[in-house]
Amino acid sequence: MTKYLARRLLGAIPLVIGIATIVFFAVNLAPGDPTLRFLAPGMNQEVIEQMRANFGLDQPMHIRYVKWLGAMLTGDFGYSFSHSRPVLAVLRDFVPNTLVLSAVALVVAFVLGVLLGTIQAVRQYSKVDSGLSVVLLFFYSMPSFWLALMLILTLSLFARNVWELPIWFPASGMVSTDYEFLSFGAQLRDRFMHLVLPTLSLALVLTAGIARYMRGSMLEVIRQDYIRTAHAKGLSERVVVFKHALRNALIPIITLVGLYIPVLFSGTVFIEYVFAWPGMGRTIYEAILTRDYPLVMAGSFFFAAMVVVANLIADVLYAIVDPRIRYE
Amino acid sequence: MRKVLILGVASLTAGCGGEGGQRTASNDPFCQAVLPAVEAFMAESRARNPTPDDPRYGGTLVIGSIGELADGMNAAISTDYSTTQHQQFVNLMTLIDYDPEGNARPYLAESWDVAPDGTEITFHLRRDVFWHDGEQTDAYDVAFTYETVTDPLTAYPNAAFWDNYVKGPNGVAVVDDFTVVIRLEPHAEFLDPFRSAAILPEHLLGDVPRDQLRVHPYGTQCPVGNGPFVFAEHRPQDRWLFEANPAFPDALGGRPFVDRYVYRIIPEQTTLLTELLTENIDVYISPGPDQAQTIIDNPNLELRSYPFRNYILVGWNSRRPQLADARVRRAITMGTNRAEIVEAILRGYGTVAHTGVPAFHFAHSPEALPRLRYDPERARALLDEAGWRDRDGDGVRESADGTRLSFSIKYNTGNQQRQDIAEIMQSQLAAIGVEAQPQVVEWATLLQQINTPELRDFDGVIIGWVAEFKVDDTDLFHSERIDQPYAWSGTQNPEIDRLLDAISITVDRSEATNLWLEYQRVLIEEQPYTYFYFPDRLDGVNRRVVDVVMDARGEWVNIKDWYLDPSSR
Repeated sequence: MTKYLARRLLGAIPLVIGIATIVFFAVNLAPGDPTLRFLAPGMNQEVIEQMRANFGLDQPMHIRYVKWLGAMLTGDFGYSFSHSRPVLAVLRDFVPNTLVLSAVALVVAFVLGVLLGTIQAVRQYSKVDSGLSVVLLFFYSMPSFWLALMLILTLSLFARNVWELPIWFPASGMVSTDYEFLSFGAQLRDRFMHLVLPTLSLALVLTAGIARYMRGSMLEVIRQDYIRTAHAKGLSERVVVFKHALRNALIPIITLVGLYIPVLFSGTVFIEYVFAWPGMGRTIYEAILTRDYPLVMAGSFFFAAMVVVANLIADVLYAIVDPRIRYE
Repeated sequence: MRKVLILGVASLTAGCGGEGGQRTASNDPFCQAVLPAVEAFMAESRARNPTPDDPRYGGTLVIGSIGELADGMNAAISTDYSTTQHQQFVNLMTLIDYDPEGNARPYLAESWDVAPDGTEITFHLRRDVFWHDGEQTDAYDVAFTYETVTDPLTAYPNAAFWDNYVKGPNGVAVVDDFTVVIRLEPHAEFLDPFRSAAILPEHLLGDVPRDQLRVHPYGTQCPVGNGPFVFAEHRPQDRWLFEANPAFPDALGGRPFVDRYVYRIIPEQTTLLTELLTENIDVYISPGPDQAQTIIDNPNLELRSYPFRNYILVGWNSRRPQLADARVRRAITMGTNRAEIVEAILRGYGTVAHTGVPAFHFAHSPEALPRLRYDPERARALLDEAGWRDRDGDGVRESADGTRLSFSIKYNTGNQQRQDIAEIMQSQLAAIGVEAQPQVVEWATLLQQINTPELRDFDGVIIGWVAEFKVDDTDLFHSERIDQPYAWSGTQNPEIDRLLDAISITVDRSEATNLWLEYQRVLIEEQPYTYFYFPDRLDGVNRRVVDVVMDARGEWVNIKDWYLDPSSR
């Protein structure tokens, strides 16, 4: 297993470097450069040239590529043009925020999806089954950007101003402006309240997909002989479903983790934008717009690495849930 | 089953142990060295100047806006509008500022004298202004800032400010600790740069190599200003936190009324509106015209609207044969119903522009100008006269040599207003036999296409300018600048050159007003642009914020005087 992991990780290195290289040339060949945002009359060519030199952009692209690659391999990602700080410090600020958001969303989506899918399978063709199917399809076909705006409209704006509910959720940010003055318990609550809308926007769409997969997988498993045997032994329905069937039905679902993590990251770009969540997706998006080359490169490098790791995690989990699978 | 899920959760959350968005100043050595001094001086000042016993003091003010304060408080490298507002009115100070009529008044400089021949300005500084770490602000800070922003190595983005000043160390002399002289050639509006360029601390930035200022942590991680608000925290893409400066001079109003001021970055306008309506933010900077009515309808909120400094235009590339004739360009302007477009796109929150001289400018008097109004009949006649007729009956005019009167109008991706303008123009111009094709281009690509002198890959382009208080069209229309990035129109008109030159050296405003009027008359005749409109600036303000002044000078102009209704906090 260790050997396998090591081999997979080593194999990922050229992949990630290759991705970073493609991104390097893509952003550098794109029209415009970081001096563009200073556009103003009176900004003459000499000032622009000096600014480029201060950014280190006065050298030819292939030289910059070699320098950048060399520096990156030693862990130096350079300086962000738009944040005036080392890129690593920028990543350190934003990556945890994105991870919190996507991890919570993933957990919520999986728990809900597995639960709903199981219920649907066990009660196949019942009213519950078809009802859930309709609801899930509704969320599945909804763009998360729009879903996010609808959640803001209902659970924040209408809940507070129209329906005057006791509970409504803040529409943006990670914490309130008076966060520092709250007690520890209130701080936890504050963080939770700020997490609800962005997490739901991300998770609901995923939940729908996972539930569909889970329903199919579960239906297949509960027709197996060993389930009939379990029933015949006189075990209760709950034990049969949750102890014997679920574990086997989960195997194909686990691979979805690996598939969904890239989806999740691209989803966070919109969600972070709508909910003003200071995360990595939004930061890279703005870095692309301002042609902040070092940050774009480091960000895509990070996302590529995350996707590789996520796939690896999925494979490992596969081995854990299914003892028949062994990696050499 | 339990084992699987827990394992899954554990590996996914392993990377997020820490709290997101801590103070960014935490580990940089410069910030580590600077912040304790700020803490100490603030504590000492608070003890020395206890908050007056007045119910107006206290509370947290929250302003929400779509953009980060790009480049932070480092005034030597930034141009962003909200950023410079914070430098001028929140964290730093400028030598002078403007009253509501645009006249210079003392701020960091208590007074100033101008040499009779106009080649020297002597600024006498206040003696009661301190940097937030306790050092006094003096003439050496002014000299340092001046040398820095005029040094080509800095690549100061507003370098044009200093076109008529003696640059570098020869341009500035410290007479004594609080007196500083600046040398210049006499020219119009020579005080204006000192309203805009905030003074920076020499004792902190004096030995930073000037080409390294852009990557220095001062601006975004630990700015030390001397203005009414002290920097406390910056969480990038999230918020800036400022606190009232207890050491701000009493003569300038003393400490601000609010205890804390939070600037929040919320990129999506719908979210911003929701946060204003749910009273999570007190001020929403620049909502869209489509959001105005919602704000007006809410009894707790107030919509501010006032003429501002930016304008939208369609720039014509006169290098193109279809657009080379000024009569064609005038016909296009007359064939476009701009008043209707202002009503439709801005819901009336704006004024049709005829030139780039905005409402706050002393020479703004559109009624004295021969304005081109919507008149399709005259537009058609003008095109006939210029030799453009529909010779083959396809609805589009041609010249004698067969060139079709057809061109593209480019605008940038994701800008709904500009897309609307392009589409409305397309249909209105079709009625006078002109074919305009809207074409959307990504922003950076568009800038490259229009700004690169060898390229100029556009026919018409919809774009906007933000005018400074000192309006200067030299870069746009003077024939000497034709190889510079902003000579989009490729205008070569000796009359325009002569008038621009005269305006730039005329100090007396009444004399300058006549020149400006003459210039605008020629400009309207020439029509290098179809000037579209000056949008009104809109702001949503919660009524609990009292004494808010917002005008063409900006939203933050008197933020130190705002207070929060005591019953609301």
